Amino acid sequence: MIELDIQGTSSTPIVTTEWEAGVLRMSGDSYPENSFEFFGDIIGWVERYLKESDRPLRLELRLAYMNTSSVRAMLDIFDLLEEAHGGGREVRVDWYYDPRNERVASLADEFREDCTFPFLITPDPVAS
Amino acid sequence: MSGATVEQLSETELIRWVEGLLDDPAHRENPLLEPLGRLCELSRAQQTRMERLISISDGFHRISRDDHESLAERYDRHLRRMEKMARISDRYQNSLRELSVALKEAALKDPLTGLGNRRYLIERMQEEAERASRQEKPFSLGILDVDRFKSVNDRFGHEGGDRLLCDIAAAIRGSLRQYDLCGRWGGEEFLIIFPETAAGDAVGMAERIRTAIRAMSPAVPLPGDSAEGLRITASLGVSTHRPGECYDETLNRADAALFRAKSEGRDQVRQG
Repeated sequence: MIELDIQGTSSTPIVTTEWEAGVLRMSGDSYPENSFEFFGDIIGWVERYLKESDRPLRLELRLAYMNTSSVRAMLDIFDLLEEAHGGGREVRVDWYYDPRNERVASLADEFREDCTFPFLITPDPVAS
Repeated sequence: MSGATVEQLSETELIRWVEGLLDDPAHRENPLLEPLGRLCELSRAQQTRMERLISISDGFHRISRDDHESLAERYDRHLRRMEKMARISDRYQNSLRELSVALKEAALKDPLTGLGNRRYLIERMQEEAERASRQEKPFSLGILDVDRFKSVNDRFGHEGGDRLLCDIAAAIRGSLRQYDLCGRWGGEEFLIIFPETAAGDAVGMAERIRTAIRAMSPAVPLPGDSAEGLRITASLGVSTHRPGECYDETLNRADAALFRAKSEGRDQVRQG
């Protein structure tokens, strides 16, 4: 069991995991200087969890701004989920957005396109 | 089988025909029997070899075609993904751009009165000074200070003072011509820019503003003072840009004129 506990900065989101509960949380803005390195750990965690455990996986996202390479990394993560879902694994994404910023909701909706696993986009009760 | 149709015979039929002749006891003594028999064997071996060759070659061909199809498929998938990425990225970029426009606007605005702030006024004065030296048409400045503003704050608190500042901002704006600019210079000081306006007209405009503020009181609804009301007045210093002058020199003269208006009894316009 490994856990991620990445402190947020102005350009990188807070990332935490709970292996036992099968949850990965990301919140904040994402435009890291080296997105390959930053997302490498996160993608690694998802891959490992999907491989070494057979329990459900839930992504809890509160992402606001993302640069292009972060968008790409998120698409990679959703691909992993899609693949696991195709193999009968229970996976889901819950994307919470600040109700003052509806744009994030429509962006999350763009991400959701092509995903066949449950993908919830909902106003964040915490933010307002 | 007749000799006339030999050309139309297939290879297999031809061999079968020759084999038939070889097996016929009538030809047992024929000297061609052995060489022909060998030729027949050779031909059969060649045919088998040819079939294997074709089958191997077909196999390679199939692999290459499959590879090509999966490459095309992967290419399509990457392309779709790239388009999706670009679409999402563009939208993020657009919201950033709009945010930047909103921030820029906010950075030039006084949040209380909604007028331009000091930064906005400095930019406009610089522009006007450049334009004045290009076109040789002077602009004028009016700096306005609310008289005895401190006593309003003391009596009605900061909230009352803030409301008064908003009303004064509205009164100034209401007195200006369409092309005049105004903003909050700081505290209870407002600055008015009169583009392409000579000294005489600027003083006239300043008087108009002073009168409007005077007429405003005691209509200003201040809490707890509805009966008495408070006479609100303002003093103004006016100056006109001189050729070659930097905007802050013009401003300093307006400031000095304001100081005279204050020291000579307030509620008046002085020219510097």
